[in-house]
Amino acid sequence: MKGETRLVSVTVNGRRHEAETEVRTLLSDFLRSELGYTGTHVGCEHGVCGACTVLLDGAAVRSCLLLAPQADGAEITTIEALASEGDLHPLQEAFHREHGLQCGFCTPGIVMAVLGESEAGRDLDEVVDDVLAGHLCRCTGYVNIRAAVRRAWPELTRR
Amino acid sequence: MSETLARPATLVGSRVPRVNDRKLLTGACRFVDDIDLPGMVHATVLRSPVAHGRLRSVDVSPVGDDPDVLLVLTPQEVAEATRPIPCVWVMPGQRQTSYPVAPIDVTRYVGEPLGLVVATSRAGAEDARDLIVIAVDELPAVGAPEAALGEEAPLLHPDWGTNVVVDIPRGDPGEVVTAAVDGSPHLVSMRFRIQRLSGNPVETRGLVAHWDSRTQELTVWLATQVPHHARDHLAETLGLPFDAVRVVAPDVGGGFGTKDHLYPDEIIVCLAAMRLDRPVKWIEDRNESFLASVQSREQIHEARLAFADDGRFVALHTDLLGDIGAHPSNVGAGPAFVATGMLEGPYKFDSAGGRLRCVLTNKTPTGAYRGFGMQQAAWVRERLVDEAARKLAIDPAEIRRRNMIRADELPYTTHHFQNYDSGDYVGALDRAAELIRTDAPHHEDGRRRGIGLSSYIEFTGLGPSRVQQLVNFRLGGYETAVVRMESDGTATVLTGVCSHGQGLETSLAQVAADQLGIPLEDVTVVFGDTATAPYSSTGTIASRSMAVGGGAVVRAAGRVQEKLMRAAAHMLEASPEDLEMQGRTIGVRGVPSSGIPVRELAEKVWLGWDLPEGMAPGLEERELHDPADISYSYATHAAAIAVDLETGEIEIERYVVAHDCGVIVNPMIVDGQIHGGVAQGLGGALLEDMVYDPEGNPLTTTFMDYLLPSSGEVPDVVVEHTEVPSPFIPGGMKGMGEGGTIAPAAAIGNALADAVPEIADLVTETPLSPSRVWTWIRQRLGGES
Repeated sequence: MKGETRLVSVTVNGRRHEAETEVRTLLSDFLRSELGYTGTHVGCEHGVCGACTVLLDGAAVRSCLLLAPQADGAEITTIEALASEGDLHPLQEAFHREHGLQCGFCTPGIVMAVLGESEAGRDLDEVVDDVLAGHLCRCTGYVNIRAAVRRAWPELTRR
Repeated sequence: MSETLARPATLVGSRVPRVNDRKLLTGACRFVDDIDLPGMVHATVLRSPVAHGRLRSVDVSPVGDDPDVLLVLTPQEVAEATRPIPCVWVMPGQRQTSYPVAPIDVTRYVGEPLGLVVATSRAGAEDARDLIVIAVDELPAVGAPEAALGEEAPLLHPDWGTNVVVDIPRGDPGEVVTAAVDGSPHLVSMRFRIQRLSGNPVETRGLVAHWDSRTQELTVWLATQVPHHARDHLAETLGLPFDAVRVVAPDVGGGFGTKDHLYPDEIIVCLAAMRLDRPVKWIEDRNESFLASVQSREQIHEARLAFADDGRFVALHTDLLGDIGAHPSNVGAGPAFVATGMLEGPYKFDSAGGRLRCVLTNKTPTGAYRGFGMQQAAWVRERLVDEAARKLAIDPAEIRRRNMIRADELPYTTHHFQNYDSGDYVGALDRAAELIRTDAPHHEDGRRRGIGLSSYIEFTGLGPSRVQQLVNFRLGGYETAVVRMESDGTATVLTGVCSHGQGLETSLAQVAADQLGIPLEDVTVVFGDTATAPYSSTGTIASRSMAVGGGAVVRAAGRVQEKLMRAAAHMLEASPEDLEMQGRTIGVRGVPSSGIPVRELAEKVWLGWDLPEGMAPGLEERELHDPADISYSYATHAAAIAVDLETGEIEIERYVVAHDCGVIVNPMIVDGQIHGGVAQGLGGALLEDMVYDPEGNPLTTTFMDYLLPSSGEVPDVVVEHTEVPSPFIPGGMKGMGEGGTIAPAAAIGNALADAVPEIADLVTETPLSPSRVWTWIRQRLGGES
């Protein structure tokens, strides 16, 4: 509802943020517009395309299906957190090597979902067959996305 | 003979990982919605709620004096401040050649832009928009192309007396084709319907418009495939000089033709920025993408294939009815023109022709989408070919083989004046037919199995300006490249084409680096900004960026290299033929000690020191490439499917592509384009359907009811290439961006008819959804319904 606001505190990629925001603000808009984490993309705003996926307390969620106040107190991880000191994360590296992205707009959501679900203990087949099927990519035809996930998997599960 | 690369290729042909991946993978990219300017405010578009209606009034008074609302524009205000948008591709006799930015009297489709609200936040703008009262008297609407033709059909423009906007003959004269049909012993005649599709890049459209009132200049960051074309039309519709408008395409999240248009809503956002004198952002939401971004494909074909006892094709004819939507877009009847023009595919006929008729309906305008008519041509032709084979009990591969234009018959001019250039069409057919039977799955699970072939020719590298004039496509068909070797030995390539996922940042750099003889990492490709890019009239559409734009880079980089070598020869007191380039050094062949670093040479040429007599300083060359003719890529696709007779569900078990697009610059990128194209083709074949009710109301306006293919529906695709070079492109490349989408529907349709021959004559419509296939199966095989 217009006007009503709430103070929302979140930790994003290890950094604490506090902002007064309208209660109707989507988490995706909060992250992008109010906190500046524009690596998270918005493709459909109704939870189907998966481009806006982030980790919320470690779990992969669609940030367009949550209101910002629902994330109050949570730890959020976005695509910006993955590369460290210039080195790509093994999953990012695998997408690069296997040509798992073209325009790159859907990519952050897919990377975050695969990361979250691998950390949640899903096995490779589940991730390739089920998790990827929950994301829309219009460029790649998915062939090389599957190859990238398979390539990165041993390292993902070792970490 | 094609102009070949000046130097032995080391990068061209290599699977070089892309140079722009890092920013996309780390969230450091900048798409249009990531742009935030000081003082920026947000727009939302007021849209027509009805398919057809007379506008009585647009009452904005309920918005009141909300301090967050900065501007409301009504249709009247928009119409008064803008000029109509010109159509670019205009057919002979076309009844409408421009359309208004906003209608003031009659609205003709749901989602048509009527005005705009600007507020300090997007949500605030949407709140205000929802208070505006649009008073409209609804009129009877046309919801389907057949319905546009009836005696009693409502008319979108009553003064025309018809809804037909274009009606022209194509190919051989009708009486010639009819005589050929009548004289042949066999005929297959079928009525085909191709559904409407929505392009749906995952990044929707959007822009940030910034008017600088001090300099009277408009800068627009726009998600577009065609920065210069968008700039020209923006200036024209807003009444500004072309040089006062700058369009910048930032990172763009896919296009597929959807972003090959300047849209009315985008012009209205720019108008708002000028009125407010502050930056305005508008980002299309997904629902709007289904209503207001151009749609595509919808055509009906009454088609006939006549053939002899031995399977030889005698005549091919189609009567095409195309659904344009509420007005012609900038490409208008273009996709229908190409659907007839490319109908013949890779085969010979004694005669071929058709009638092209396009009608207006009260639906979203249609425009460019990957495949651009060639998908429809393949569906019609390849289904007819398989039914001819079935009639004569000839193997589908064999009937194709008997009729295909052979390598030694090229170049070959078709009945639609396509000058096929080079290739081995039979070779691709044979390879696909072989590959699809390799490792074919053998299951006994009660499902029926079938194999389908689909062969096509892809029109690429649009185009010679001469050809574009012939068909009255009012854009220049050339591309220009500027290649500059900087004084540190690195190189900058400026091009008028631009990338939105195709990887031109890498593939054009490969071409330039090979020509210049320097490492890939020393080359930067710059594009997308009309203030710095060479003028590109046509932009990145029609599978032309590597063929036309790449050809220009080959030439310009070759000239820079040649000048560098002449300067080096002078300084080394040797002849240019005796020089060689190794690493970042040029020296006399066999005398390693003679080497001078490229950096040192480049610096000298820029200083103008120690140059040979008559050589001007500087290492920058500009080349315009207007190809002599079209380059035709080709392929045969083959699908192996399983059909569940109980549910009508189709599963693709194996999919192969035998493909030729001339010289391949980066096989990894080319394969990726084919994978993505096949996925979009499978979407059209099995899932996607933009449905309207008979009153013109759109029924599929979310991803919950318009189904895009996901990873679960797209199999791993086997791709093999041959490389017969283009005779018209420096470097020998051909275009290939659309090919993947052209063939899948026909391959799967043919596989379905093979698996369930009882329904073969019914397989005429897409998508081949479970409900449609199940209905056909019930109709012919009976069973509980």
